[in-house]
This record gives sequence, C-alpha cells and structure tokens, in this order.
Amino acid sequence: MSTAQFRTLERENRFKNPPKDKSAFPLLYEAVKPHVGSFNALTEGPDGGLLNLAVKDIGTKTIFDSNDVDRLGNKLSIRIDSVQISKPSINSKDKLSLNKNTLPSECRERMISYKGKISFKVSWSVNGGEEISEIRDGGSLPIMVSSNRCHLENLSPDQLVKYKEESDELGGYFIVNGIEKLIRMLIVQRRNHPMAIIRPSFANRGASYSSFGIQIRSVRLDQTSQTNVLHYLNDGNVTFRFSWRKNEYLIPVVMILKALIESNDREIFDGIVGSDINNSFLTDRLELLLRTYKNYNLHSQKETLAYLGDKFRIVFGLTPDISDIDVGKEVLKRIVLVHLKDNSDKFKMLLFMIRKLYTLVAGDCSPDNPDSTQHQEILLGGFLYGMILKEKFEEYLQNIKLQVQSDINRGVAINFKDRKYISRIFTRVNENIGQKLQYFLSTGNLVSQSGLDLQQVSGYTVVAEKINFHRFISHFRMVHRGSFFAQLKTTAVRKLLPESWGFLCPVHTPDGSPCGLLNHLAHKCQITTVASDVSKVPKALFKLGVSSTESSISSSGPNVCCVQLDGKIIGWCSHEQGKIVADTLRYWKVEGLNDLPIDMEIGYVPPSSNGQYPGLYLFAGHSRMIRPVKYLPLNKKDILGPFEQVYMNVAVIPSEIENNIHTHVEYSPTNILSILANLTPFSDFNQSPRNMYQCQMGKQTMGTPGVALCHRSDNKLYKLQSGQTPIVKNNLYDDYGMDNFPNGTNAVVAVISYTGYDMDDAMIINKSADERGFGYGVVYKVEKIDLGRGRRNGEPITQHFGFGNDEWPESYKEKLDLDGLPYIGVLVEEGDPICAYYDDILGKTKIKTYHSSEPAYIEEVKLLSDEAGINESQLLSIKYRITRTPLIGDKFSSRHGQKGVCSRKWPQIDMPFSETGIQPDVIINPHAFPSRMTIGMFVESLAGKAGALHGKSYDGTPWKFSEDDTPADYFGEQLQKAGYNYHGNEPLYSGATGEELRADIYIGVVYYQRLRHMVNDKFQVRSTGPVNSLTMQPVKGRKRHGGIRVGEMERDALIGHGTSYLLQDRLLNCSDYTQTSLCKSCGSLLSTQTSVPKIGTMTTIRCRRCSNKLDNSLKYNYDELDLWEDGQGSKFIGGDNTTTVAIPFVLKYLDSELAAMGIRMTYNVEPK
Amino acid sequence: MSREGFVPPSAANLGNAASGIQALKNYGVKYVCAQCAVNFSLSPKEPVRCKECGHRVLYKARTKRMVQFEAR
Repeated sequence: MSTAQFRTLERENRFKNPPKDKSAFPLLYEAVKPHVGSFNALTEGPDGGLLNLAVKDIGTKTIFDSNDVDRLGNKLSIRIDSVQISKPSINSKDKLSLNKNTLPSECRERMISYKGKISFKVSWSVNGGEEISEIRDGGSLPIMVSSNRCHLENLSPDQLVKYKEESDELGGYFIVNGIEKLIRMLIVQRRNHPMAIIRPSFANRGASYSSFGIQIRSVRLDQTSQTNVLHYLNDGNVTFRFSWRKNEYLIPVVMILKALIESNDREIFDGIVGSDINNSFLTDRLELLLRTYKNYNLHSQKETLAYLGDKFRIVFGLTPDISDIDVGKEVLKRIVLVHLKDNSDKFKMLLFMIRKLYTLVAGDCSPDNPDSTQHQEILLGGFLYGMILKEKFEEYLQNIKLQVQSDINRGVAINFKDRKYISRIFTRVNENIGQKLQYFLSTGNLVSQSGLDLQQVSGYTVVAEKINFHRFISHFRMVHRGSFFAQLKTTAVRKLLPESWGFLCPVHTPDGSPCGLLNHLAHKCQITTVASDVSKVPKALFKLGVSSTESSISSSGPNVCCVQLDGKIIGWCSHEQGKIVADTLRYWKVEGLNDLPIDMEIGYVPPSSNGQYPGLYLFAGHSRMIRPVKYLPLNKKDILGPFEQVYMNVAVIPSEIENNIHTHVEYSPTNILSILANLTPFSDFNQSPRNMYQCQMGKQTMGTPGVALCHRSDNKLYKLQSGQTPIVKNNLYDDYGMDNFPNGTNAVVAVISYTGYDMDDAMIINKSADERGFGYGVVYKVEKIDLGRGRRNGEPITQHFGFGNDEWPESYKEKLDLDGLPYIGVLVEEGDPICAYYDDILGKTKIKTYHSSEPAYIEEVKLLSDEAGINESQLLSIKYRITRTPLIGDKFSSRHGQKGVCSRKWPQIDMPFSETGIQPDVIINPHAFPSRMTIGMFVESLAGKAGALHGKSYDGTPWKFSEDDTPADYFGEQLQKAGYNYHGNEPLYSGATGEELRADIYIGVVYYQRLRHMVNDKFQVRSTGPVNSLTMQPVKGRKRHGGIRVGEMERDALIGHGTSYLLQDRLLNCSDYTQTSLCKSCGSLLSTQTSVPKIGTMTTIRCRRCSNKLDNSLKYNYDELDLWEDGQGSKFIGGDNTTTVAIPFVLKYLDSELAAMGIRMTYNVEPK
Repeated sequence: MSREGFVPPSAANLGNAASGIQALKNYGVKYVCAQCAVNFSLSPKEPVRCKECGHRVLYKARTKRMVQFEAR
C-alpha cells in the first residue's frame, strides 16, 4: 500500500516559476496527441504531408474551349501543384502592431477565429505546352491550437504563461468566433481489411441479392477512403458495388478482375479455388461466375476496359480526348481497392475477397462483427479536416471548368494563352476555401458532393466546454460511434464488448440516449497519426518462410494462411508456419530486430471450425488504436492493437501469469480505464453504475476551469473559490496534474439521520462550514456590446461610447466612469446602466442596461478593436462576476455517484459533535447506501479520516487491495494509531441536547464536489406575469417569467383526486379567465359590442346581430330611448338581450377561427 | 485670428495633424494593454490600439476611486 503525496510546495513552486524546459505533465500531452498529431500530418511527413498528397491525387482537370461536337478546341490542363498553410498573423495592412503574430489568447478575447492564410499553387498548360504556375490565396483557414501551424507549438510552460495561456495548454482544438471547437473522433470500419458481413438489408438491393457481403474500406495515401462491397447473389454470382458522389454502382466482379490485368478464366479459377478442387460448392459457383460473364462477350483486358470506360465516362466527367480504355483505367484507379497501387495486387486482393465471400456463404467462416473494436479504427479530426480540404480543392477545379463552360455559352472570347483571361477566371471563381472550413467547424455540418464515405452529414464538431478540467480533457478522449447509430432501434451497437478491453473505457460513457455510442478512450490508448515504415517487413516475412504470391499461384482459401500487410497480400504459408511467423515477428519487433516497427499489429487469426476467416494480417497504418503492454519473453514494452489482442493472452496482473499461456501482462490494471474513471477513488468497491455516474458528475462540477481566466471571454464560466486537493487521490491524479484544477473540497461527513432535513438524498451543510467558504463559487458571464452591429460596411460611425454634451441623468455616474463604461468592481443590479453611448443621429446620450435578476460585479471591461484597427471603439466585452454561495437547493456530490441537494444550512451549535469536538461539515442520510452499494465512499471516508489525522494523503487507486489485505483493516489500523475507532464509527453527541446518540455514527472525510446545477439558475415562480397576446394564456419559459404547464397528465391526477376547485383554479382562473358579453337571444359570443354612451346614460352592451339598423326606409314606431349608436354613428334598435359570462379567452379565439371558416357557434345560456 | 493665437507648426503638433487625429481631451481613465501591460489613457474616438505595441485588446484599469461595499 503506497501513500500519495500532497506535493504542496512542488505545486506552489511550479506556479511561481513555470518550467522553462518542458511540461511536468507529459501524460496530458499524450491525451490530446491524436488531435494535434493528425492535424500536423496534414502538412508534415513524407511527400509534403497529406494535403499535398491530396492535391496530387485530385490530378489534372482538362478543359476545352469549344462547344462543337466535332472539334475539341484548345486544351487547358489545370491542376493544383501544392498547398501551403501559414501561421496566423495580423492583417497585412496593419502597420501599427509590433507583434505581427495573432495569438490564440487574442482570438478568444476578441471573439474572432484563429486562422492562418492558406495558399495554393495552381499550374496549368495549354495544349500540352509549357506549364505556368501562379500562387493563389485561399483565404484564412482555422488552425488547430498547439499544432505545427500554431505559435504555441512546443512552447515551454513558462513561455505559454507569457503568451497568456494556461501553463499546460494542450491545444487540439480550433478557435472559431472566440469559441473553442474540436472535431470529435469517430469510429469507422478498420481500413484495408475485408470484412465478412451478413446484413439483411443487402438483400433489398435487387432481385437475386442475398444478405451476404464482403466490405472493405480502402484508404488512399491522403486518408480519404472508398468503400467497396462484394455482394453474393443467390445464384452464386458476385457483384462489386461502390458509391461515387452519393450514387451507387454495381459491376459484375469478373469484369473488374478482367479489367485489372490481362488474365484468363483459368487464372481466376485457380486464384480463388486454389487446391480445394474437391470443394464442389466452390467449383460450381465459380463455373457459374465465369460462365455468366461470357454473356458480355468481352475477351481481352482492353475490351473490358473500353466497355467500362464507355459506361463511366459521363459519371467521372472525363473529356472526349481520352480513350475509353484510359477512362476504364481511371475508374479502376479511383474506385477499386484504392489502397493498392499495383493492379496485380488489386487482382489478388479481389480474389481473396471473393474466396472469403464464398467461404462465408458456405458457412465455413463466421461473419465479422462491425461493432467490435477489432474491426474498427478512429477517424481523427485532422484527417477529416484534410478530407474536406481535398474535396474543396477538387470543387475549385470543377468551378474553373464550369466558369469556362459558362463563358463558352455566353460567347465570351476565350483565350487560354492570355494570362488576363486566366486571371479573369480566377477572380470569378470562389477561392475562399478557408471560409468553408470555418463553416464546417462552427456548425459541424459537412457540405460535400461525395459524402466522404461517411454516414452522417452533421454533428462533426463539438464545443470544448471549459466547465472544469475534467470536462475539458474528456472532450479530447471522446469517441463517437456516429450519429447514424443513434437512431438505430437495435441496441447491439451500444453493447460493451470484450474486444474493446484496454482501448475504450468500460465505465466512462453517459447514461441515457448516447449510452454506449459516446465512449472514451482508455487513458493509455493512443491513436497512430503517422504510418510506420513497413518497407522491411516483406523481407522479414520471406525470411521466415512465407512464399511470395508469385511463387504460389495456386494458394488460396482458408486452408492456407494468407499473409497480408496493410491490405496487400504478401504471400502464403501453412497455418502451423503462420503461427511461428507471427510469434517470431513479434519477438523481432519488440527486440528491435530486422527494422520492424514496434507499433505494427500482428493479427494472427488461427484456423478454427466456422470461426473468423484465418490468416496473418499485419497493420501499421494511420488511425489505429494502440496501447502499451509488457511482452513477457523479453520483459519489454510491446504495442498492442485491437485486431491482434483478440487472439492473445494478456495477463491482467503479474500473479495471474501462467506459463506457456500468457505472452503479455498489463503494466497496470487501471490502464483499461479512462482518465476520469481513473480518478474515482476505490472505484473497485463500488457498484459499477455508480462509477459511471461519477464520470458524468465529475464533468458537471463547479471546479476550476483554468487559471488564465482573465484572458478568456467564455459566455459562462463556473469557478470554485475554495478548491482543495483531495486527501484520498489516485496515483494518476498527480500524473495528470489535476491539482492545477481542483474540483472540490474535503468535507467531514457524518452518515446519520439527524434532523429530517436529510431525507431522500438531501444533505445538510454546516452553516459555519458554509461561512468558512465550503463550496463557495462564482459564475463569470461575458456580455458583448457591439455598437456597430446594425452598421453596414462603409457607413459612418454614428454611435460612440461615452457621454455626450446633452443632458442625461446624474444617476448614471454612480455606475459609469467618465468614459461611459462601468467602474471595475462596481455592483450592478437589474436595470442599472452598464455603458453609455452617444447617438449622433438622435443627438442624445443613451445607455445599455443590465438584464438579469441576479446582481453582479463588473469584473473586467475589455475594449476590442475592429479587424483593421483604425476606427474608434465600437466593440467591448464586459465580464460580470456573480457570486454563488451555496444555497438550499444547490446540488453536491461525492466522487461515488452519490449526489444530493442541500436541504438546510444547519447552525453549527446544533450540529452533532464527536468526543474530540469535531462537528461534521455535511450530514447525509444512511439510506443513501444500502441500495446503491457505494462501498468505495465508505472506504474513502475511512481513508480521508486517517489521512487527515496523520497529515498524509492516501492512494485510492483501484485494485490495490485484496481479500487478504482489505482497506478496512489498513485504514482501521491507521485510525487506531491516531486513537480513533478502528471501524470509523464514533459516538456523537446531539448538538441540541448534548446527549450521546444511541448509536455510533460513521464519520470521516470525503471529497465533495459542488455541481453546477444551482437553484438560482433553475427556480421558476409566477403569480401574474406576461401572457400570450393571442390566447391570453401565460407564456412558457423561465427566461420570460412564464408559468409551468399543467398538462394532460397533471390534469388527470387532479381529476382523479376529485379536486375540482383546484382544477378550475389551475386551468381557468390562473390561466386565461376572461369576462365577456354574450347575446342570450342568438347565443353569439362575437356579435356583441358596446354602444356609444348617450348623454346622461351609461354605455350598454348590445348584440349587433339581433338589432336592426335604423335607416330612412325603415319606418315604424320606436322610442328614441331604445335606440343605440355604434362608433360610426349608425343607429340601431334592439339587441339588448345580452349578459356577461366568464370563459377562457381561447374560447373566443376558437370561435373567431371557426367563424372564419364559416362555422357559427351558439351558446345556450340559462336562464334565458 | 490674432497673431498670438497662432502656433507655428512643430514636430509634435504636425504629427497629429498629418495623421488626422484631432487632439481630443481624454478623461484620464486608464487602460491596460492586454499584450504588454502598459498603462495609458485613451481619448474618445481614438482607435483601440495600445500606444506602445499597437495591440488590439485593452482592459479598463481598476478605478482609483474608493469602492466600498456594505459589510454585513
């Protein structure tokens, strides 16, 4: 049992003198590495980074300047040669600034985006002549903080502090309009590995389609992917399916095979069947496969290519100057198994896939589970960013083509040789690629022609909320399954599978709708962002006796072991040999022999009866999940992937190792948990859902979001003033530097039912503890005031901050300084002025007022310059500080999923006290424990008490204790040494009477978190208030001071209780009770009106419908007194049989609506 | 205009005139540059730029006036 350290002095010193060399918390940087690494890979690495690979892959677009059918005209070949992204800098027109760099802190404060210029070199040639290049400006591209295009890259904590950042700023996010956004990681199918799938929806594709298929997600060098699927048809045929620009295409697989290389039926037959000639299931189907293809009457490779080219020329938008054969080749290059360069490799891989499909159909191998981590990888933010950029570049070239086309149609003189014409095209095409990426980041919506081989169009980005550090760091470890699966009715995708052991945390997933879809990476899990060098691997394989594909033409099928490296078939060997090859390779790579990359995955799938399709699959590419594990034969670190892990024996703890069974052992059993799950002390003693709840609540805690808060302008920020380091902490707590961002307070907790105020998960807080600052926090809110909001570009400024020379109330001066802005530190309440400005047009001084019922202090006033920095101040941000003392109704929780609401602040004199005079800070009810079984909280209480007594910090890491060495004994002894009860119980005395309580009370020290859900943000009361003008019913919403709806179910309950008076009160009197007039004769609600009063009389209510208009033609006797007059001066007689009734106002509205449809409502009122 | 009122152009006022900035009275409210932390005052209608480094974010300095709250 090890004790943890408080390290107070160390921490103090680190804050005073931030390290000048490197961070003290390398693990934190590891945590965001997938994000930063993937962004860096865009611009660095072999061949100039992924972006340059992408533009190379786009290739050359050909444009002709003629519309004639028989004449092509001049040919313009245009391509993008290279892409460059520069670091963010200020406007080039700005000559005043000394520092030309734009820093992230400035972007946060000014609420702008952290962007760097993106430029690309466009090269073109006319009629195959000399190539001309020009560098074009693609606007500003949002840059990932701490990436290689950011000014913060590789800065020491000391420098970061000078740059107004946190001392351990991790980066990994973008700043878009002052908001920190990150692209979340998505789970996608493992690349370059054919997966056997049985999916009923496959059968819906056509008449004879079956549910069997082989799917491969093939990934190009630039990380864009293309999925190919082989479908099994019920007659034994196989079709090849792909989607291109969101349309699906089906091609007979033999056509692809024949187009790839010059081959014959014999070669295809041998390549699929191999030596299994006696397998009649296979041979029958293969015969059919080859025979049905004869109908196409295509014999040579050229004929096949020409056929394909003819069909796909329009789809791929290729120009008429290319022959059909070349079009066919282009189709194969862009679509078929794009991870392979060589056509014969593609041919072999396709044969392998066909054989796997037939094996699957025959039932000789099982389908692969697409929901298992074994067949998954992570789509990283940076790679997705690059994919979108690639698509935008392709769109750009297309737009150039369209522009030329529209010039042709409009009859504009076209001369490709003229630089002026080319410049004209450039100016007419939208070159602002950066803006499109900014849109992507700010909305998370993917605008794409191709769909990027992904299943969703929105929800790619999330705000990296800085509620507290737990929340913030979790964002970077979050992996989503894809929003497509969220709608799925089946829950199979959400299941926790053993394959994810060590890669995805079993604890850290939210409960509710995203449960199991939104996972978090285990804290030691890494994602590869660069491909390892595998050039030496084939040589090593051949050395181990794998026969190359050339020498073993007829090897095929599950009876021999196929050796594949990143989806390329290297060779074949027997299964016995395969096992030896795999074991030797592993030994070599861990030992560092033969130049094998350590992170290469050696997935040996042994032969089995109807199990996974066997073979030896090696992976060393991007985006794989990897984790470190100790390799026993060499006692060295090995890197494991999820594919190989399934077939390996990894001991969890050293004592578990059995000879000749285990090859690996975990470095620590806590490696399977995420960062947050690792911070729950003694989580191994808790019921598992409670640990899940803690992971959720840790993220909602009012903690410490950061220390550089004065350089941030977040809309809302929570801060705990009295944060402490927990007495009981896990060893990873310090490794992740959590003490820099304390998340709670140590509290003396007594488990006792004391006052009745602690029933039902309520907790009582000691009033004096509250006054000492227990759980005290503040909320920072920022309001942006923009005077130039309605002003369009070029219009003069008409509103100026400050007071004018006109007359304005002296009372403004109480809160506002001479510059019209509030004093720093002044208290503002609702309606107080927060800034004054002078309006030139009105010639008046106006103010903006504070709109919130909660009083706040002015914390900061920031004057923000506009983009150019030449105009006077039009924009400022005011930061308010709202104090939040713990109130009755505020939510608290321990670290064991035990949340409760403060029900009372109990005076200290009335709190129970122990024999040593200790009085609890918090009292919770014993009923919180039996059903929830959070024993970890008891242990923490015990350890916290022992720690407090000895002045020590204790380690709460799970799986440190065992049945023979229990924490109850360990901490019991510690307590005993300090003179306390072994079990943590103590006799307590009633604070009210001083009598000893009849039972010993469990009392100890527990770390308490204050959650950000506070009554002040939630309470909603109303007696009267705003109503909807149409229905006269109360409006809804807390913000608008509205009411809470008594809905159908509430109504049912009131009916059920027979409380009719209450029901009427809720539904009528407190809602839209109205008194209105009604005509008793005709029963109409709408035809009554008030008459114009005559001299000496009151107004009367008359029914216009029942009265007769008095005009000259009407001649009969009437009394002048019976006449009444309306507003127009017309005189009427009669219609006096009216009365007043009480109705809900909506009834009147309903009546009017019905009247508009020609339906009359009559009301029979009694007595008549 | 009397001859006494005329001020011959000097290096100081020529600079202001040439750059088009009117010499406005400032209220003596201090601002702090977010980048170099220099303390200075700003006249109304003057662009929001640090006098020293030209930075584009300024903080209003805390008032020298006594701020007193009711102590309870």
